[in-house]
Amino acid sequence: MLKRRVIVVLYLLDGFMTRSEVFRIHQLLGHPIHHVERLVEWDVDELIVIDISTDTPKFDTDRDDYRYKGPKDLLGFIHQISSNCRIPLTFGGRIRTMEDIQLRIQNGADKVTLNAVLDESPDLVREAAEKFGSQAIVASIDFTRDGDTAEVVTHHATKRQGVTPVEWAKRAEKLGAGEIFLNAVDRDGKASGFDVDVIQSVVDAVSIPVIACGGAGHPRHFLACLEQTNVAAVAAGNTFHFTENAYPNLKTFLKSKRDDIR
Amino acid sequence: MSKLELPKITWCKKCVYPSPSAIPMHFDEDGVCSGCKVGTEKDEIDWDERLEWMLELVEPYRRSTGPECVIGVSGGKDSYWQTHFVIEKLGLRPLLITYNGNNYLDVGWRNLMRMREVFNCDHHIFQPSVDVLIRLNRQAFRRMGDMNWHAHAGIATIPMKFAVEQNIPLVIWGEHGFKELGGMHSHNDLVEWTKRHRLDQLQRGYDWRDMLDDDEDPIQEKELSWLEYPDDEAIKRVGLRGIYLDMYSRWNVKDQVALIKEKYGWEEATEPFERTYRTISNLDDRYENGAHDYLKWIKFGYGRATDHVTKDIRAGLMTREEGIELVRKYDHVKSSDIYYWLNYVDRSEEWFDTIADTFRSPKVWAQDTDGSWHKMNIWDEQ
Amino acid sequence: MTSVSIVELGIGNIRSVANALKRVGCEAAIPADGDELRAQAPDKIVLPGVGAVGAAYAGLEARGFIPVLQELVIDRKTPVLGICVGMQVLAETCEEFGAHETLGWIPGRVVKIETGDPKLTVPHVGWNDIRATTDDPLLANVSGDHFYFCHSFAMECPKEFVIGRFEYGRSFVCAVRRDNVCGIQFHPEKSSGHGERVLRAFVQG
Repeated sequence: MLKRRVIVVLYLLDGFMTRSEVFRIHQLLGHPIHHVERLVEWDVDELIVIDISTDTPKFDTDRDDYRYKGPKDLLGFIHQISSNCRIPLTFGGRIRTMEDIQLRIQNGADKVTLNAVLDESPDLVREAAEKFGSQAIVASIDFTRDGDTAEVVTHHATKRQGVTPVEWAKRAEKLGAGEIFLNAVDRDGKASGFDVDVIQSVVDAVSIPVIACGGAGHPRHFLACLEQTNVAAVAAGNTFHFTENAYPNLKTFLKSKRDDIR
Repeated sequence: MSKLELPKITWCKKCVYPSPSAIPMHFDEDGVCSGCKVGTEKDEIDWDERLEWMLELVEPYRRSTGPECVIGVSGGKDSYWQTHFVIEKLGLRPLLITYNGNNYLDVGWRNLMRMREVFNCDHHIFQPSVDVLIRLNRQAFRRMGDMNWHAHAGIATIPMKFAVEQNIPLVIWGEHGFKELGGMHSHNDLVEWTKRHRLDQLQRGYDWRDMLDDDEDPIQEKELSWLEYPDDEAIKRVGLRGIYLDMYSRWNVKDQVALIKEKYGWEEATEPFERTYRTISNLDDRYENGAHDYLKWIKFGYGRATDHVTKDIRAGLMTREEGIELVRKYDHVKSSDIYYWLNYVDRSEEWFDTIADTFRSPKVWAQDTDGSWHKMNIWDEQ
Repeated sequence: MTSVSIVELGIGNIRSVANALKRVGCEAAIPADGDELRAQAPDKIVLPGVGAVGAAYAGLEARGFIPVLQELVIDRKTPVLGICVGMQVLAETCEEFGAHETLGWIPGRVVKIETGDPKLTVPHVGWNDIRATTDDPLLANVSGDHFYFCHSFAMECPKEFVIGRFEYGRSFVCAVRRDNVCGIQFHPEKSSGHGERVLRAFVQG
């Protein structure tokens, strides 16, 4: 039986690990290296790293009094975290070309997430799926919600697309994406629970796995999403930073309730 | 002579914190730092409700006998406030635990000793061998430009270690320093203590094991067992958890200090410090306002005065202009405790300065042809 | 110590595999082309891959690996382990994005996963438990454990070459062996401790 995944998302801003709220408020939580060390110790199902730097990424973490040298660029960062990373790894953010994808996959990523590309150059999604296989291409879909209407936004939620997540997801699937990473912008960092309605509507519309993200703040939120939707995976970022052993404790809780958790 | 090109520094528009800083900090589009922004959350929080949450949280930890929680105390203003709060507001019986890194000022030590007299609770003090401490001081200074690494590590390790050994699952910390100063977290996250934060931020990535392979100041594994943090199995067995009081109770230094002075006879510093105007902070460690802090100036171009001004601006106790004058007066001062420390570790001032200079951040400092160091200053900003 | 060469299939996540081999005590060489592989004359060969089969095989061909692999694996019986797409190129035919040429060392074909249940989505991504169907040493002590899978295609082949299966709506092949040639569909390099056990079994076996 294929287990449903509980995925950890790590947001990077200028090389720092970041707390994110509604995609706009960011607080730097420290260096990713020790967090990744903990994730490996916890044997997490999967790690998704998303670089949310908007300007030229600086990788500004280097300081002489810190144990590890700060990486100078994305490649250095990937090397630093992937050398001991024996868990599935997905990289996203700032990916615009085939070279960007290749660089990540050759250096430790099993998959990449594409967001702006779905808007700017859909052909690239198709080409990437042909070259790297659909299983390596994850369509990252962010949406906002106004009453009953959900709308896709791209480019760090700054560009409205005027389409529903269902339409955008179907299009991504047709282009060759092998997975959907669906994130509720309004719930980001709010710990108010997953948007199960939108999540289930997307799950129903496509035949590829859907990863749900945005809003998790309590173990009950994860459970509710797993019970009320058919998502392949639930994901969260912030909440795994806040308490000791947050991930293994969550897993213990979910396993006590369900048999489809590893 | 051509003008020296200085690295660009920006300062928070509201407080006086600089961008490269010693703590992770983020500036928004308006140039306001995350610390200021998180600070404004305090006005929106229903603190009565938070106290109820905290009472609910601690309920399962009550017991009929023995200590119900651990508080790591230095004898400082926060230690007194935490102990007061835990006993009076939460109705818990704490066990006080102290790491003594051999850096106490007399007034700080008096405050510490008074705790078991004014609070009805037991107090345990852990004091490592001074010989090991001196080697740790020297080694950490050479390797990370910080003689006080042992203090950060000791404070972050000893209370948790004792809690596990005594089978007391609840540890109550005071202020989440990185949240308070840099805005690392939101108050809505109800952040708790983690091993990761300890290693990454409080100890800057270095754990005790990293101190073992040094030739110049060798330290044996058997000498550092006191710095070994409990493993996950022990944490799980005990159910160890560390919570921060300032997620549940509004932190108000001015009122807190007034209360502990009146009620418990807590003393502030009798003599002014050389590197800051505040006389209520860091009495437990002579270098925290001195040599250690001077190194922050060397590394990042600012010091304790900037920290204190920032907190006081946010608390509405001074204007930014007043704060800038204090920063100008204090941040650069090379304090005399450096000589006390050099005597302690048996080294020369030249040794100190040469090593210290290797830690100057290129994001802050530029060196002129005559060897002098320069940086942008907040009073020069337009 | 066993010498291992990692042969890159077009575009692959070879660094992860190299790191995983390092964790089981094996510093692997990564030949740039067929000549380098011949010169390395390794005790074992790993063929990792996360790409698409067509691109993978084309990559092998372009860098002159095919004749050298034939020579080492078929003539000299050097043990080889194909991982994921590296397993799929061992088959005779593959239909991903149109038919592709493959190594053809294991009689079988690679087909798109059909689960027959719309809830069981494809690609098959995530942690699935596996079952060893023989007492092959490669899967010793890991039957029933979970491994990380990330694929849209699976191999079908005669029972005599199957050493492991997984359930996903129906039963699929996840591990094959024919003499010195073996392949696994899951990613041992990403499957924590169990994955390392499989790699250790291959390196030490």
